[in-house]
This record gives sequence, C-alpha cells and structure tokens, in this order.
Amino acid sequence: MERGKKRPRQEKEEAEEEEIETGSSNADRSLSLEENLTFSDTLMALRIMRAQFPHLDKVAIQPFVLQSQLYSSVKDRTQVDRELESLRREKVLRIFKLSTGQDDHGIMFLDDYLKQIERVFKRMEGKDRGDMEVFKWFTTHVVESKLEPSIGHQELCSLLSLGGQVKDRHVSLLINAGLLTRQLIDPNMYWFAIPNIGSLLKGLTQGRKELLSFLNRRKYKEMMLATLEKKHLRLSSLDMRFHLRDLIGSGHLKTVHTPSGMVVRVSKD
Amino acid sequence: MWKGIRDREAGKLRPNSFSNRIKSGRISDLQISNHKDIVSPHRGAINSLQVDLTEGRYLLSAASDASAAVYDIQRATDYEGAGLIAKHKSIFSVDKQHGNGHKYAISSAIWYPVDTGLFITGSYDHYIKVWDTNTTQVVMDFKMPGKVYRTAMSPLATSHMLIAAGTEDVQVRLCDIASGAFAHTLSGHRDGVMTVEWSASSEWILITGGCDGAIRFWDIRRAGCFRVLDQSQSQLGRRPPVLERAALNKSLSAGQNSLTRSRAPHKKHANGHGPKHSTISRMPAKGSVRQRLHPGMLSSQDRATAHYGIVTGLKVTEDGMYLLSAGSDSRIRLWDLESGRNTLVNFETVRLQTSKAIQLATSQDSALAFVPCMAVVKAFDIWSGKTSLAFHGHYECVNCCWFNSQDQVQQPTSHIFQFLNHHKT
Repeated sequence: MERGKKRPRQEKEEAEEEEIETGSSNADRSLSLEENLTFSDTLMALRIMRAQFPHLDKVAIQPFVLQSQLYSSVKDRTQVDRELESLRREKVLRIFKLSTGQDDHGIMFLDDYLKQIERVFKRMEGKDRGDMEVFKWFTTHVVESKLEPSIGHQELCSLLSLGGQVKDRHVSLLINAGLLTRQLIDPNMYWFAIPNIGSLLKGLTQGRKELLSFLNRRKYKEMMLATLEKKHLRLSSLDMRFHLRDLIGSGHLKTVHTPSGMVVRVSKD
Repeated sequence: MWKGIRDREAGKLRPNSFSNRIKSGRISDLQISNHKDIVSPHRGAINSLQVDLTEGRYLLSAASDASAAVYDIQRATDYEGAGLIAKHKSIFSVDKQHGNGHKYAISSAIWYPVDTGLFITGSYDHYIKVWDTNTTQVVMDFKMPGKVYRTAMSPLATSHMLIAAGTEDVQVRLCDIASGAFAHTLSGHRDGVMTVEWSASSEWILITGGCDGAIRFWDIRRAGCFRVLDQSQSQLGRRPPVLERAALNKSLSAGQNSLTRSRAPHKKHANGHGPKHSTISRMPAKGSVRQRLHPGMLSSQDRATAHYGIVTGLKVTEDGMYLLSAGSDSRIRLWDLESGRNTLVNFETVRLQTSKAIQLATSQDSALAFVPCMAVVKAFDIWSGKTSLAFHGHYECVNCCWFNSQDQVQQPTSHIFQFLNHHKT
C-alpha cells in the first residue's frame, strides 16, 4: 500500500516544499488528505501542516498545529514526542497548553509567535503608552529563556525585571493582551498562551463535536474520506482537514484502507 | 524450540537467554484462558489483586462490597467439563458479616511480604486492618483520617515493618505493625494521595502519586521528599552515558537560566528541590517573603506536576530502573528513576479510568507493560509505546491486573467482579 503511493506522494511533497519557498499556498488546498495523511519526519509534517492552515477572515492569527495532528501524521508517536522536545530545546518552536481539553497542546513556530506578539502590541499601542515596554521585556527576556509552557509568578517577575522595574499592572497588561493565562489549579502559575486564539478554540471544540456527532448519526458510523473532506463544518471556522487530522490523532476516529479508498470510522473504545 | 534445547545442551545458548526466549514467546501468545476459572465470591467491583511474593501461589483480592478473598491459583478446588476446566474457588473470604470486617469498600489488599501468614486491607471506612490468614481474625487496626486509597509494604524490607498508606488526607502515613502505632507522616502533597509504591531497589524509598498530579519520592529516614517528578524535565530515550549527560546538564542550565535541579551528582540531596528561581534574584526574594522552613520541607513548595490530572497508577519495573505512571489525563509516562526524567515514550491510550486508582503490571524482563484501559487490558512495549496485545473479554471497566511471572499468567479484574485468566494456551 505504501509503495504504490510513495512516488506520487514524494513528488507532491517536493512540489509543496518549493511552493512553500515561493510563498504561494493556494495550491495546497487542492491536494487531498487521502494522499498526504502520513509523513516521515516531524519537522516536515509541521511545515506542511502549517502551510495548510486554513485562511481565516475574521481572526488574524499565525498558523499553529495541534499535537494530536502530528500524532496522526507520523507513525511513531514516541519519535514525535522526542523530536518535538529537541526542536523545542533548539528554540525552533514553542508548545502551548490549550484550554480545550486535558491534554491538548498547540505548537507554533517561534517566528510566528513573535509575529503574533508584535501584532498584539500594535493593536494595543493606542492605549497606555507608559506600560508598553513590558511587551519588549517579555519578548527579549521571558520568551527567550523560558521554554516550558508554564511559568511561576516569581520567576516571571524576576525575568521581566531584567528589563526594568516590574509592577503588578505590567503583569495584568500581559494577561489582558492574552499572552498569559492563570492556571485554574494554582493561582501562582501561568500558562503561556497564544493571543487572539479564543474564538478558534471555541470553533475547535464545537467542530470536534459536530464532526463526531455527524459520523455517529450515520448507520455504520463511517464515511469515505474523499467525500467527508468536501463537507463544510457549520460551527467551526477551521476546515475539515484540520479537524480530521486532530480527531484521528487523538484516537476518536480511525482510518481503514478499503479497496475503494480510505474510510473514516468512529473508533469504539 | 527443540533446536533451542539442543543448543543449550551444547552450550551455544546460555540458559538464561534460553529461558527468556521461551518466556517472551509465551507472553506474546497470551490469550484468554479457557481451562482455568477463578470463581469469585465478590458482589462488587474488584479493586485490587495481589499474588503473594513468596510462593506465587495465593491470590488475594479486594472488592467494593467490603469483602476480601484468597484463592489458590495453582491447585484447583474442583474440575468441571470432564476434568478440562479447573475451577478455583476461594479458600476463604472475609466480608461485612465478619465481626471485625470492613464496613465500606476495600480499596486495597496486600500480603505481608515475608510470608502469607498476614495480610493487610485498607478500606474506605478509614481503617487499615491487619489479618491473620490462618484464623481469619483481625490482629491489628489503624484508624486513618480519611478514606484509604492504597496501602503498600516494601518487599525488600529487612529492618522495618511499615505500611505506607495513601488516603484522602494530604499526608502519607506510615503504620508500624511491630508496635501498633504510627511511625511518622510525610507531608508535601497538596491533595489526597491516590497511589503509594515502595521502591524496588531500596527499602527506605517510597514513591507516592497524588490527586494533585505530583509524584514524590520520599526517603523515610529523612523529612520531606527528595524529588518531585516534573513532566517537562525530559530526556530523549535511555540515559546517555555519564560524560554526555554532564555536558547536557550544563548546556541546559545555561540556556534556561533557572535553578537547575542537579540530578546527576546529587541524587539524594537533603535540601530536596527548592522553588524555581532565576539565578539572578535568588536570595532576597526567598528570605524576606517566606518564613524559614526546615530544609527538608522546601520540597513542599515545588509545584511540578507529573500529570495534568490525578496520578491513578504507579508501577516500578522489576529491575528498579524505571517507573510507569498513569494519570487521569489519559497519559502513561515512563520515568527513568536514576535521573528522574520523563523519557517521552508515548503510549497510545485514548482513555483511562479517571476516578479510581488502577493497578498496572509489568512483565518480568520489563519489556511489556500491562495497563487496564477501560474495558480492555492493553500490553504495551515499554520502549516504543506501541500496543502489542490487547485483551478483550470484560464487560465493564477493568480496575487492576497482575502478572504472575511463574507461569506467565495475567489476571485482570473488572468492575463487575469477574476474573479472567489469560494463559499461554
């Protein structure tokens, strides 16, 4: 099964790499999920999925990838975890814990994250001139040195104070901008967060529910992948391919190879 | 196999590797047994199973209907089906009708590690009772401040007879059978303690997993815990050799600019692991804001979590080098005990039971881990995390499983009081 698909897939992947470099990503959407469901390398999977991130009109956000999407794309999950860990240590990407479930993590390339912070900074620039320097302190001191997804209050203040005098209102400004969120279990710990992501997370949970309930309502709880991909989700602004990869990776759906193509089925626990 | 025997005779194959080969062959062939049946007198979910460590002959089970029963798994009580199916009925069982029995669910029952003359049960009625097996009478009991979730005794202990009890209360209590009193309490967890496990390499080291998601290591001779496992401290695979590790530690500390938990040289440092501070403003903040704490208690401020939820199961592998932990975030993690880091092996689990503790099992050569995942028991290859076997057959959630290495039998039990044997057929 793999050998027959390898050549067209490889060619397509090389073609995609060139497209990424020239900057055009319109052709990617025409490539079906069936042909490029799995990749051999985590970094390549990340780059391609980043290029395939849906264009959103209402929200201006840089592309990010969910960890469950990576699990569906690369066969060996342990390899994914380890490669993510080494990429994180090399500061190529950052991992964020998302609030949509107990084990959801979002992965964003570091450059994209910095661009996102810039965008937020510009949007908030009109307001309070005096405290704006906290964003620069955050980018230069905290993001560079703290690579984990969470940070304690003391450590945050001490890292920010490398830039200047830190007051409580500086931290509140960061929370208002969406760069930090308080942890529910522990009032002194913060999660790093992607700003402006709220509506997308809501779309993510609703889209998941909608897709699962759609498949559950069908008689045999399955559907051909090719036809499923063409459907539009009503409640989510993220596209079907995004949700499919996420649910396959988290184990709620599974794909079965059949003579007439791939079939997506709801997996029984 | 015959060629293997011939090779062993001739000396081409070492006896140990020959027996390991046979064992792993048998393990990969595990299926539900159709000739051995353990008849359980329980009327509620079975919460814990243990085969005694001395002979591997008697199975002790504890159920939610406040009953505990003992079975002889090597000798059947009677045979059915023209002598083909061996039925093992319980030798005795103690339940609510017993004068001194427990009143609520028994959450864990363990054998006294030295011999099968005593067993210890811990229950949701806040008591831990020590029973004499031959007379089935309660010899001693200990009252706990909350529901007892798990009890454990060290299989290596030669100088102490302490029962470690994890309860709803944040403190882990050590009960001494010799004196009938509490020896001491270990504080540091911030919520109830769901699982306790003694180390397989030292009789003084206790590992506890709490409802706050933290896994702590305690040396019972000292105050406070000496290590808290943090899921973000990870290593890629098996530990690198010593020189590489020292270089790795240095580069990490330079890059991350935080107080390093110096794991390689000082494993049992008395100060434990203090709160994370950047190296720049270390002393003034700490001294002025906090009261002075005993150095052993500094670890109580360490808030690292091993799981994003409750730690529901802990198992130390037989060689004492790795720790498997299962959490209610449906993740199973493998920790390297020497370095204290997450080895990042990803075990493919979709859902794990979240409200109760589950009992994990590992095969003797530490190659397979058996984990109850809802109604199925899955066997994972420890180093790659792939599911190698899955045992279906239970109608409801599986709570605990036990791997009997003597004849490669694995016994999972479920919510509806059923035993299933998985044998090499």
